[in-house]
Amino acid sequence: MRSCVKVIFSIALSASLLPALLSAGPRQSSSGSKPAPLQDLTALKSVGSREAPITIEVFSDYQCPQCRVFYLDTARQLMLTYIPAGKVYYVHRDFPLSMHSHSREAARWASAAAVAGVFETAEQTLYSKQDEWGSTGKIEDVLASALSPADMKKVRTIEATEGAQIDAAIARDMALGESRGVNGTPSIYVFHKGQMTPLPAGGVNYSLLKQYIDYLLQQR
Amino acid sequence: MSQTSSIAVERPRMRSKVRFLLIAARTVLGLIFVYAAYAKLHFNGAWHLRDYYFFFAMSIDSYRMLPLIIVQWMARILPWLELGLGALLVVGAGVRWAGLVLSALLVVFMMALAHAALGGLEINCGCFGTGSVKPGRELMLDGVLLALALAVTVGGFLSHRAGKSQA
Repeated sequence: MRSCVKVIFSIALSASLLPALLSAGPRQSSSGSKPAPLQDLTALKSVGSREAPITIEVFSDYQCPQCRVFYLDTARQLMLTYIPAGKVYYVHRDFPLSMHSHSREAARWASAAAVAGVFETAEQTLYSKQDEWGSTGKIEDVLASALSPADMKKVRTIEATEGAQIDAAIARDMALGESRGVNGTPSIYVFHKGQMTPLPAGGVNYSLLKQYIDYLLQQR
Repeated sequence: MSQTSSIAVERPRMRSKVRFLLIAARTVLGLIFVYAAYAKLHFNGAWHLRDYYFFFAMSIDSYRMLPLIIVQWMARILPWLELGLGALLVVGAGVRWAGLVLSALLVVFMMALAHAALGGLEINCGCFGTGSVKPGRELMLDGVLLALALAVTVGGFLSHRAGKSQA
């Protein structure tokens, strides 16, 4: 009986979330009975206004120590300053490196959290508790300690039912990164006035990035 | 008698060979440094004369070795210093001093690269723009450049002393 309720809940949740997700972004051909790709997952993993003059796109790996440093020291500061002010749109792209045994799984859980609407909490938890799940692989437990039971239930259901589409979205991020020559993380790209500028590899100090953003904003 | 005369003939020949090698070494070294400066000022298909130092400062800062204020000054000055010293070597002016300063610079670069390589950091050294991320490889290249710079410096000082004693 309980499993029956679970299945019904899963179907109902998928049915209610998928149309909203699929209508938001441009679609690729969804021929036959194949499920349509979860195109707008990127938007769900992004922070800020799309209308912001500067877009910062970061290819990262949740298990990469330099990505953690970049996220905690630089990205979090952007999220407190330039992003709420509407000056920067921050786009997260998954680029799980094969050298990290749990990073792909972490990207999967973070993506499921994005679909459930709790991406920021999940991302922050994954980076701040990287040592914990990085050694044990217990990503689900770490996320459960930070999310409310209701949110965690949603995340679990999405991870179980939309896994294939989430994997496809991660593969698309990786393909995009590879097409740009990304071979390490974090790889950061700044978009301003239609121009894409890659920043040096290995993460960026917040005060240097701030100076660069201020310089770009003065160019308006 | 004939042995003495053959030595007398060989010496100037050797000297001109060494002089030729030193000219070639300083020209190559000078061009490499001019290129290194160019790569810091022109990347992503465009000149970055007004914002080059942001990117170079980010590269230098990734070593996590220097305070930010020094990083920023280095980022502003270094490309122009490399350009100036490289140009001096190419035209053959102030060779011994340019060689000496470049040798000192290379020693500093190599110390930073060794620190990065030992720490297993895959950072952008910034040596030739924003592309290179293998400190170990850059360290080997800088080793070769240091050997060239030292040869040019020693050669420059020796030929200066020889010129003085002839005068």
